[in-house]
Amino acid sequence: MRISVEQRLRRPRWLTVVVPVGSVVFAFLVAAVVLVATGHNPVSTYRQLFDAAFLQNQSIDQTLIVATPLAFMGLAAAAAFRMKLYNIGAEGQMYMGAIFGAAAGLYFGGRGGPAPFPIAAMVVAGMAGGAAWALISGVLRAFFKTNEILTSLLLNYVAGYILTYLIFESESYWRQTKGFNASVFPTGKPLPHSAVWPGWTLHVQGGLTFPLGAFLAVAAAIVLWVLYKLTRFGFEATVLGDSPRAARYAGVRMRRKVLAVMGVSGAIAGLGGASQIGDFSHSLDGDPNGLQKIGYGYTGIVVAALGRYNPFAVVLIAFLLGGLENAGNTLQGPDFPAGLVGVIQGIILFSALGGEILSRHRIRVERRTKRVPAAPARAPEPAA
Amino acid sequence: MKRRKLALATLLVVIGAIALVFAGAGAGRTNASAFKVAWIYVGPHNDGGWSQAHDDGRLYVQKMLGSKVATTYKENIAVGSQFNQTVASLAAQGYKMIFATSYGMITKQLAAKYPNILFEQATGTDLSKNLAEYFGRAEDTIFLSGMAAGYASKTGKLGDVLAFPIPEVVRHANAFALGAQYAHPGATVRVVWTHSWFNPAAEKKAAQSLAAAGADVIGQNVDSPAAGQFAESKGLPWVGYDSDASKFAPKSWLTASVYDWGVYYLKRVKEAMAGTWKSGFYYGTINDGFTKLAPYGPGVSAAAKAKIAAVEKKMKNGTFYEFQGPLTDQAGKVRVAKGVKMDVLKGGTNSLYGMNWFVKGVIGSPKG
Repeated sequence: MRISVEQRLRRPRWLTVVVPVGSVVFAFLVAAVVLVATGHNPVSTYRQLFDAAFLQNQSIDQTLIVATPLAFMGLAAAAAFRMKLYNIGAEGQMYMGAIFGAAAGLYFGGRGGPAPFPIAAMVVAGMAGGAAWALISGVLRAFFKTNEILTSLLLNYVAGYILTYLIFESESYWRQTKGFNASVFPTGKPLPHSAVWPGWTLHVQGGLTFPLGAFLAVAAAIVLWVLYKLTRFGFEATVLGDSPRAARYAGVRMRRKVLAVMGVSGAIAGLGGASQIGDFSHSLDGDPNGLQKIGYGYTGIVVAALGRYNPFAVVLIAFLLGGLENAGNTLQGPDFPAGLVGVIQGIILFSALGGEILSRHRIRVERRTKRVPAAPARAPEPAA
Repeated sequence: MKRRKLALATLLVVIGAIALVFAGAGAGRTNASAFKVAWIYVGPHNDGGWSQAHDDGRLYVQKMLGSKVATTYKENIAVGSQFNQTVASLAAQGYKMIFATSYGMITKQLAAKYPNILFEQATGTDLSKNLAEYFGRAEDTIFLSGMAAGYASKTGKLGDVLAFPIPEVVRHANAFALGAQYAHPGATVRVVWTHSWFNPAAEKKAAQSLAAAGADVIGQNVDSPAAGQFAESKGLPWVGYDSDASKFAPKSWLTASVYDWGVYYLKRVKEAMAGTWKSGFYYGTINDGFTKLAPYGPGVSAAAKAKIAAVEKKMKNGTFYEFQGPLTDQAGKVRVAKGVKMDVLKGGTNSLYGMNWFVKGVIGSPKG
């Protein structure tokens, strides 16, 4: 018997539904073994997991708190990965967006003027901050052919140190310096009320608040979809990703595209950073135990891969993963170690990503048949 | 075809078996009428230091009050949106009291959003109707542990692994240095910052660099025992912090200033259950049993133990205070005049909660 994996020439529609669902079911079965081995009841654990993520009162409200940044980070990664430009720096670009966004909020927030202005300023500043940080890697790639994976990854650490420096090691504009409390522990200056982003509350599930960031993330997904599906820009970027040589023959300007796509990617990540400040923390958080510890930017890469770089799928996946994350937090405690939560989340993510191979490839099992003298030589496999 | 059918049948049997095994196994275990209290930790609950000391306190509460309370913890929680999500989830599950064990976690605005939950935060100063703050005089016992370090040092060159350049850590480092100098006149303490409460890799690296700079005793104000494990491998004496971590470095272990949070937790939870809870600022002392010295390791001599015990006795009856003037800073300037005792909150940078300068003999910058 011979087992071979070969690329599918055509991808049937039903596979795009069956494979992810099957992967998740498979993951739950594998995780059940782990749960049983550690003395937990899989059925009640899964029930708790779904309750905490999506079903019980206020669960979706909590899920959105995690899903919103994941959607931004997933979109940022997807925007660049589509052109095979591997921007791993969404994390750092998010910090920069947070820094710029917080500055705009602090500056314009206390100055009167029409209400939406400080918030609009934060959105613009956050995008500019993220884009600028991403363009460092963009310029290095476009003009010096420096690998963007390395530069964008390393710049994450630089951005993290800047964040720590602004709150912990300097009396910067972002740091709260007034009052005795400020000397006890360094904290960010709180945003003026007019710069706090609004949320829209639906009275279902005991209160479900959509943060402004959630709407902006969906808007960003629509813009990305239009950009890649309906414009020449998007078409050229896709071609450039698939075959740089063909694109060059067709007259696509490589450097411009790299800079533009890096900028778009960074701007989305930066917007996510501004949303962290405006929607959730309301002050710049420089603590390595805060924003820097969660690593939304890195999880965003997984989100993008699971969504196959399709903006709407990315938003959906961000929501599901946000639920998983939220449920994990609710589940962990004395009876359920945080490490076990991580193992289960890992199994689910691993199966979901691993299942992808089945939608692109098929496994063929050939049984060795008795040699018949007249059998023709095996037909050559179609070129992959 | 046959094989496919077989596979299908196997799958069905497996699913059926799993369903059978777990059918009927109930989910609900907690007593519905129990008073629900949660603790939130910045690191793992078994970090061998800060968070573990808090979790010991939680277990003490659970043991003393039994089925009348249901306690839980959330570990490794990042400050910011993840923290908000955690509090929202605890509120939705009916938790009535939350102990946040790291400053910067709970703001007055957050406390105001959940008026029915009683919040308590360690090491901070923000107070509101449903937000209290608590901590204790670890500086006293850190001074004593510094004495043990001073007696163990041959060269008078010590090292201290520190977390953040903030008054809490600066004051603890100063107490450590003053204790070392009390035992070993002229001793110096070199400091390295890790910029994290819990980061074993950075803590080990910091200890390495201190040893390379000539420190022959290592102290710390971070949460993990990584510096101690490094010290053990090099045969250097080590002073821990927060919890008795002697098992991580049995030969190197001298002692540590440790907290007994359980005493305070039990009192507050009882008050909350009785409806007599009031917000306030608690600063526990060695006399409350809130801070103490962990059991000594093999490297502390009998003579050193006797001297430490003598100072401890004076601390308890109020005739000794390490932060009493004259205290000079690194540049040799007298910061606290002779006979003046530093207050906890009053006195700006000359208060325990505002101290942003190192005493003489500390090598390194208090700004990080």
